[in-house]
Amino acid sequence: MFWGKSRNIVVALEVGSTKVAAAVGEIRPDGTLALLGIGEAASGQVRKCEIVDFEVAQGCVRDALAEAEQKTDVVVAEVYLAISGAHIRSSNTRVTTLINNDGDEITPENLQELHDMATAQPLPTDHAIVHHLLQHYVLDDGSMTDNPIGLASKQLTAHFHQVYGMATRLQTTIRCVKELSIEVKNYALSSYATAQAVLSRNQKQLGAIVINLGGGVSDYIAYQKGAVVHTGVLGVGGDHLTNDIVSGLKIPYAKAELLKKNEGSVILDAAEADSCITLPGAYNFEERLIHRTSLNTIMQARQAEIFEIILEDLQNAPFWPDFAGTLYITGGASQVKGLVELASQVFPCPVELAHQSPFDGDQTYGRRPDLSTLLGLLQYARQAELELPSARGFARVGQSLRRALASMRLI
Amino acid sequence: MIEFTPDGPFSEKADQLFPGRVRVIGLGQTGAAVCDQLVLHGRPSQDLWVFDSDQLTIEGSVVPKRYLLGHSLVHGLGCSGDIELAREIVALDEEQIAPAARGCDFLVLILGLAGSTGVALAERLIELAHGANAKVIVVGVQPFAFEGAARRARSIETIASLRAEADSVLVLAHDRIAENPATIKNIRHGFHMMHQLMAKVAQALSQIVCKRGLIQLSFADVRSLYGRYAGSEVLENCWAAHVEGDIHDRTEDLVAELLACPLLGDELIWKQIDHAIVAVSGSCDLELSEVQEMVQALKDRLPGDIPIATSASLDEESNERVRVTVLLATTAPARMSVPEIVAGFENPPAKKPRPSSKTAPISVTTEPAKPAPPVANRPAKKPKISPKPTAPPEPVSAPIAAPMAVTVESHSIAEEDLIPAIAIEPEETPTAVADTPPTPRASRRFLAKQEEMSFEAAPRGRFEKTHETMYRGENLDQPTYRRRGLKIQL
Repeated sequence: MFWGKSRNIVVALEVGSTKVAAAVGEIRPDGTLALLGIGEAASGQVRKCEIVDFEVAQGCVRDALAEAEQKTDVVVAEVYLAISGAHIRSSNTRVTTLINNDGDEITPENLQELHDMATAQPLPTDHAIVHHLLQHYVLDDGSMTDNPIGLASKQLTAHFHQVYGMATRLQTTIRCVKELSIEVKNYALSSYATAQAVLSRNQKQLGAIVINLGGGVSDYIAYQKGAVVHTGVLGVGGDHLTNDIVSGLKIPYAKAELLKKNEGSVILDAAEADSCITLPGAYNFEERLIHRTSLNTIMQARQAEIFEIILEDLQNAPFWPDFAGTLYITGGASQVKGLVELASQVFPCPVELAHQSPFDGDQTYGRRPDLSTLLGLLQYARQAELELPSARGFARVGQSLRRALASMRLI
Repeated sequence: MIEFTPDGPFSEKADQLFPGRVRVIGLGQTGAAVCDQLVLHGRPSQDLWVFDSDQLTIEGSVVPKRYLLGHSLVHGLGCSGDIELAREIVALDEEQIAPAARGCDFLVLILGLAGSTGVALAERLIELAHGANAKVIVVGVQPFAFEGAARRARSIETIASLRAEADSVLVLAHDRIAENPATIKNIRHGFHMMHQLMAKVAQALSQIVCKRGLIQLSFADVRSLYGRYAGSEVLENCWAAHVEGDIHDRTEDLVAELLACPLLGDELIWKQIDHAIVAVSGSCDLELSEVQEMVQALKDRLPGDIPIATSASLDEESNERVRVTVLLATTAPARMSVPEIVAGFENPPAKKPRPSSKTAPISVTTEPAKPAPPVANRPAKKPKISPKPTAPPEPVSAPIAAPMAVTVESHSIAEEDLIPAIAIEPEETPTAVADTPPTPRASRRFLAKQEEMSFEAAPRGRFEKTHETMYRGENLDQPTYRRRGLKIQL
C-alpha cells in the first residue's frame, strides 16, 4: 500500500443502479489528472439510483472500493460521491444586493454576501441543497459578467442554478459510504459530473445539453453561455427497457438484458420486420424464437418516451428558445443501437454521442460511456482540490493521521 | 450621483396601495394536487399551504407548508369519505389549522367537493378566517358522474354548506372534461388537466383580489359573480380557461386557443354564461392597448353580449410571456335548468346488494318546457352499452354527463378500464341530431358506467419496491408498450 504526502490522490465513487464503481486518480504537481485505475462491482438492490437494501448496497460499495484499492495500490480514505435520483430537483434563482462601497465598487465581500443570500433561500421541507451553481452576475445597467470585482454598480444581481434533493435519500447514500469508515469529502450531481467529462469549455459556452442515460435514471444538464441553466433527473433508465422486454416477451431478466445489448434496437427497421432471433435454451429455459419487431417495438416505445419527456421538460425551461447548441448522449444505456437516430427524430437540435475528454494514466476505460460520470467526477474532484487551500502545519499532521487511521479502518 | 426613485407598478408606493395578502390553501387530495401545480408551474412565491389526513398525499406534495392531520386518529390513512371522522380530526388538530386562517386578507380554499377531510377543514377554516376578518373564496370541483351517487350527493351537500358560509364559491365540474380525448385515454390525465386548470383559477383569483396592475379589479367583482347563491339550486357556476403564449403571438391565435380549452368544449354552456372575468398577466412589455385588443378579440368570439370585466397585471417573472385566464360565471338561477350538468344522482339510491353486470335506471333532472340541446359537436362513438330505459323517456337537461343508466360490474385492473364509458346509441348520428329538434329518446344518449376500481396496481416488475415514477398521471414503471396499447407478437 502506498499513500505518501507527495501524492495527491482523489477518489470518485458512483453508486449506480447497474454497478458501483470507484475511480482513483492522482493530481500531479502541474495540476493535471492521471487515472490510476477503476474498481467495479455489480450493483445490488439499488434501483433508480436509490438504495433499496442498505446492507446489500453497502457490500457492493465495499467490493468496488476493495477492487480499486487492489488495482491502484492506494488506500481509499475519502471519496467524492456522485448523487442522483428522481427526487433531485432544480431551479434558477437570483439574489440582489445594493453596493454601498466607495465609488460603488464591487468587492469580494459583496459576492460572498450574494452567495450567502442564495444559500439562505428556502427549500421545500425535508430537502437539502446539492449545488449552488453560479450562472452570472448582472450589473445595474443590465450587463452580464462572470467576475464583477472592481466594477462599479449601484446594485448587483447574481443568478444561481440551485440543485436540491430529499435530505433522507441523500443521507442514505452518504451513510452507506461513511459506515465503511470512508469519508465523503464532497458530492456532485451525476449530470454535472458527466458534463465535466464530455464537454469542453468551448462547448459549454456555445450551448450544450448532455443526457446521461443510466441504468436506473436518465439525468440531463443544459449549458448556455458557459453556465448551467437547467438540470433534471428522470427516474427512468436502461433498466426500464429491460424490464419492458421481460414483461413483453416473457423471458427472464438476465436474458432480456443480453437480448437488449446484443440484438435490440430503438429504431424500427421495415427490412427486419419478419426476422426472428433465437434465444438459446438453458437447463431451465427452453429455446425460444423472438420476433425482432416485437423486441424493437418495446424498446423504441420506451426510449422515445424517455426522450419525449426530457424534451418537454427542456422546452418548458426559459433557456430553450435561445438554445442553439448540440445535444450529447452518454451513459451505459446509450450503447443501444439506433439511439442517435431516434434522438435526432425527437430533438429539434443536432444530436451526437458524447466523447470523453482525453486524460492521462490508465487508458483502458476511455471508450466506455458508462464511466462518463465517474471520470467526470474525478475532474470535478481535481477542480475542487485545486481550489481548496492546502493543509499546513497541524492541519497537515491531522490529515495524515486521519489517513493513517483510515487505512487501518479505525475511524 | 444621480439618485433614481423607482416608480410604477413595482414600486413600494404601489405595494402600499394594494396591501391585500392572499393565501391559497389546498385541502385534501385535490387541494394538494392543485397546490402542487401552483408550485411547479405557477408562482413559487405564493403563500401556499396544504392540509390532509392522508400521509401519502402530504408526503407526495411539493408544497413547503404541508401538514398531516389526525395522525393519532387515522395514522395517516385518511378518512375514507367519513365526514364525521374528518370533523373529529379537524377538532383534534385545531391548533395546527388555526394559523392558516390568520395573517392574510383573502383565503382561497381549494378542494374536491366530494371529499371528507377537505370539506370538514373548509368548514372550519371559513369560520376561523371570518373571525380574523379575512374573506374566503372557495374553488371546488364536483366529482365525475362515474364516481357514484354517494359522492355526487355529498358534493351537493358540500356546495350548499359552503355557499352558506363562504364569501364566494366557484364550482367546476369534472364531467366537462369527461369526453376530452386525453381523459378518455387515461382518467388520470383528466384529473391532472382539472388540477392544472384549478391552479390557474386560483392564480387568477390571487391576481384579481390583490395584485397591482394596469387594470385593477377587486374582491367585489369576484363576489358579485360567485357569491350570489346560498344553496345548491345551481351547482356548477364557473367555467375556466387558460392560455399562455408569447407576448408577440397573434391575439386571434391566443383567443382561439383559449376558447378551445376543455371546459368550454360544449357550446351549450354559452346559454348559461352571463358574465366573464378576464385576468391578463404579462411582462413589463405588456401594453394597455394589447390587453384591450385581446379583450376585444375575445368579446368578438363570445356568443351574445356577455359583459367582460378585465384585470391586467404586470409580472416581473414573466419573460415576454402573456397569461390569460378567463373565468365565466352564471348568476341567473332561472336559466340554469337547461344546460346544467346533472348526473342524476341528486337522490342517491338506497343501499342494496349490487347486481352484477346489470343496468339500472337513474332518475334524470328534467325540464319539460325546454328541449334538450343539440349535440352536433360531440364525437360519435361506438356504443358500449345500449340499455333500454325502464322509465318513460323524458327530455334531459344535461348536455354532457346525464347518465340514464349505471352499469355496475366488476372489472379488471387495466388502467384504461378506469375511464368512464360513455355510450351513444348507434342509430343516431351527430348531424341528424343537430338538424332536427331532439326527441326525448334522442336526448337520453349518454351512459355513465361506474367501474369498480381495484386497489391493486399493475405489476411494476423490477421496480416493485421503489418509489413510483409518475408523469402526467402515468406510472412510468409500467411498460410503455402496455400503456400505449402496442401489440406485441410473442
